[in-house]
Amino acid sequence: MAAALTDLAALLEGIPAGAWVAISETLNKVLAHGPDAQVVLRQAQEQGENLPLIVRVPDQNAAMFV
Amino acid sequence: MASATYPYIGFPIAVSQVYPQGMVAYRPVARATITASTGKSARWLVLLDSGADACLFPLSMAKMLGLDVTKLPRALTLGVGSQSNVTWYDTVTIDLGQEIKFSAYVGFSEAVERIGTGLLGQSGFFERYRVEFLLSQKLFTVDSSL
Repeated sequence: MAAALTDLAALLEGIPAGAWVAISETLNKVLAHGPDAQVVLRQAQEQGENLPLIVRVPDQNAAMFV
Repeated sequence: MASATYPYIGFPIAVSQVYPQGMVAYRPVARATITASTGKSARWLVLLDSGADACLFPLSMAKMLGLDVTKLPRALTLGVGSQSNVTWYDTVTIDLGQEIKFSAYVGFSEAVERIGTGLLGQSGFFERYRVEFLLSQKLFTVDSSL
């Protein structure tokens, strides 16, 4: 069962805006981040997480979504 | 019939003139497992967006799913504040957990690349489910009993 993940703000703190992030839902921690989603996925898989949750840090210039 | 309740997820909003302290935007977003005809899956956040005509995902996801978009049908997509973008379509299975699982004809587009989440829109999602948004409780429910 995946751990609760209701607030990304703390988890994504310090990660550059616009970066793709791979998150372990069982460990509730960031495994990898960077500008290329596929590279981030591969880096997470190399750490044994076959299906990490992929999210993107909101872009600073377009943070609000409408 | 299935009924499921999910928590809103808070997204960090950067410091700006409008929000000098920054803020957290709570959105009706679920974690989903998306599986393509290739057999490959990806775990992604999906935003329930009743203003979207159809379900839409970042083009990055199509690559993760091993889809060759050059072989898929395409059309233009238009969104608020964006120019029209080419969108490629295919059928995928979307599993939100808690027995909410369905197949939908979805688009993959650069248009939502900067947003990062997938969008669950009218065609494919809201046509199948009744949704109740309870922002005051930071919860939303998805019910298959239309």
